[in-house]
Amino acid sequence: MAEGEDFYQILGVPRDASQEDIQRAYRKLARTYHPDVNHDPGAEDRFKEASEAYDVLSDPETRRRYDAFGRDFRQVPEGVDPETWRRAQAGARARAGAGAGAGAGPGGFSFSEGDIDLDDLLGGLFGSRFGGRGSRRGWGPIPGADQEAEIELTVEEAYRGRRRSITLSSDGTRRSFDVTIPAGVTDGQRIRLAGQGGHGSDGARNGDLYLIVRIAPHPRYRLEGRDLYVELRLAPWEAALGTSVALDTPGGEVKVKVPGGTSSGRRIRLAGRGLPNPKGKAGDLYAEARIMVPPPLSRAERRLFEQLAAESSFDPRKQR
Amino acid sequence: MSYAIVRAARLSLEEFAVLSGLHPDLIRRLVALGLIEAHRDTAGALWFSRSELAAVARVQRLRAGFALNYAAIGLVADLLDRIAVLEAALRAAQRRGR
Repeated sequence: MAEGEDFYQILGVPRDASQEDIQRAYRKLARTYHPDVNHDPGAEDRFKEASEAYDVLSDPETRRRYDAFGRDFRQVPEGVDPETWRRAQAGARARAGAGAGAGAGPGGFSFSEGDIDLDDLLGGLFGSRFGGRGSRRGWGPIPGADQEAEIELTVEEAYRGRRRSITLSSDGTRRSFDVTIPAGVTDGQRIRLAGQGGHGSDGARNGDLYLIVRIAPHPRYRLEGRDLYVELRLAPWEAALGTSVALDTPGGEVKVKVPGGTSSGRRIRLAGRGLPNPKGKAGDLYAEARIMVPPPLSRAERRLFEQLAAESSFDPRKQR
Repeated sequence: MSYAIVRAARLSLEEFAVLSGLHPDLIRRLVALGLIEAHRDTAGALWFSRSELAAVARVQRLRAGFALNYAAIGLVADLLDRIAVLEAALRAAQRRGR
């Protein structure tokens, strides 16, 4: 959680907002960020923040204390004068600052050590909405929701598979995972990271995080499932007479034998040269012929083409 | 007499209660309300598939997060499932069209 963020800011309401405005703002945020509605990994934190802010601001008494003492109001005993508290707190901060570096008290709560139980505090964040306030009866710990995030891979990465470090950042918190991407993942496939999803409350198990694979568009390769399509550029005489061409593929260079009489659009299939399949037959590679002509014809080329035009009776537009 | 050789594909009410952390009476109620699926055998005992653990967790989260009543939770859960199916179909269509 972004430390020190103001509850009013979290809900997006002014400090003098009415209780109705606060409720409306919270309800909107809850509908947007509830972990079952929004699978984005950052949504859960937003939901928790909004819930915590709403828990405090929806009750006029706790709201009054929050306004007076700020985020630490729970540590302030009843009946303390806000001014006295502020002065005492400033003194404690100065002391903690002087002792810092040598490893201050746990979590920097040194000025009130012994008074607060960190678990109480954390329980107050989520437990209150996910189980507290009377609704706790019957519901114990609640498991976390599953989350989804997209990762973009290049065609080459999908072909070879690799170990990749993935960082998900949401509202200032960053989580990194080392994910092994198996060779031959396809677009839309989901990689499951067990237990890395939403947090369960009160020690219940976490949800899972699903990484949805997106294959980035590639300047040369087009993927359909595990089949790879690549353009094969040919000179008119290569296409007419047949040739053997070296072609770059994600798996390395391959020789493609182009049969004579190849027209644009013809697909030459190289079986098993597409994306590998961990559970069966690899995809195929299709080299799609595309005939290119020399942009400015040299004098000799022009003469030869003219001669060909005069000799040939071939009509590509004739209906067959 | 019975021998448990493999992990049971189905969970009894008691096993389901332990794994979900809920009271068996509450689980019976959720079944009666159609919020989780259960199979009733000839002896009248309830059996659950493991996938229902995720369903019951979602019921808990929705109830805690929105203070919904049970009828509304059923509606929300059905709508979320339908949206998930539609979004998957949309993604597949976009991939084909690319």
